[in-house]
Amino acid sequence: MTLEPDLRDALLAAVPSLRAFAISLSGQVDRADDLVQDTLLRALSNIHRFEPGTNLNAWLFTILRNLFHSDYRKRRREVEDPDGSYAGRLVVEPEQGAKLDFEDFRTALSKLPHDQREALLLVGASGFSYEEAAAICGCAVGTIKSRVNRARFRLASMLQVETDDDLGPDSMTRAALQTSS
Amino acid sequence: MTSDKGNKLARVIAEDDLGDKLGTDPKLDNVSQKRIGDQLRAMYDDLVQQPVPDRFKDLLAELEGKGRETKK
Repeated sequence: MTLEPDLRDALLAAVPSLRAFAISLSGQVDRADDLVQDTLLRALSNIHRFEPGTNLNAWLFTILRNLFHSDYRKRRREVEDPDGSYAGRLVVEPEQGAKLDFEDFRTALSKLPHDQREALLLVGASGFSYEEAAAICGCAVGTIKSRVNRARFRLASMLQVETDDDLGPDSMTRAALQTSS
Repeated sequence: MTSDKGNKLARVIAEDDLGDKLGTDPKLDNVSQKRIGDQLRAMYDDLVQQPVPDRFKDLLAELEGKGRETKK
């Protein structure tokens, strides 16, 4: 395996966005970094399949997304883990780099079905077009649009509900962080 | 600007549609959609701006070195 300086620089430049996507997808920094590392290794061993001139980031996101899904399926087989309890563990603690301001939003994001979360992250945060996001997820453009709409709607609902609740997410998050430490 | 509405995160039009079986896709009003979008990007940008952990620089440097050694 040879790694040319140009390719090395391009891969290194992609790491911040890959990490942001992986952290938002998995909710866990350690797991996200493992995913990014696996993505880089997978990309390098398949670099002959990459068409120069096409979008390297989109190709890397595709690899990361597929690795995340096979990992996720494996974990679900190992431990019976329906969406609810999985989402309950998805807490990025502030000292791991998350700002407390974003806790409410992160918590809501972690409760989305994972297909909606990934569609919203690709289109609404990573800056991919609907067409690129559809290619990354291997589905129709209309499916991506629908998932993004539903994701936004659910987030709005959850955040609205929680701001009207006396037992708001701030106190609940703090309690969760205290019991987990 | 909509700063007078700033205390509320989002307004949802059709809460009855929240079930899993959705006949049609729910729609958000533009103000809510923008708020969700802004918060998402703010959270995400915060992550993107984090420094790259050394493990990735080390990994790529190591791979580059290996490549050079095996080249003929």
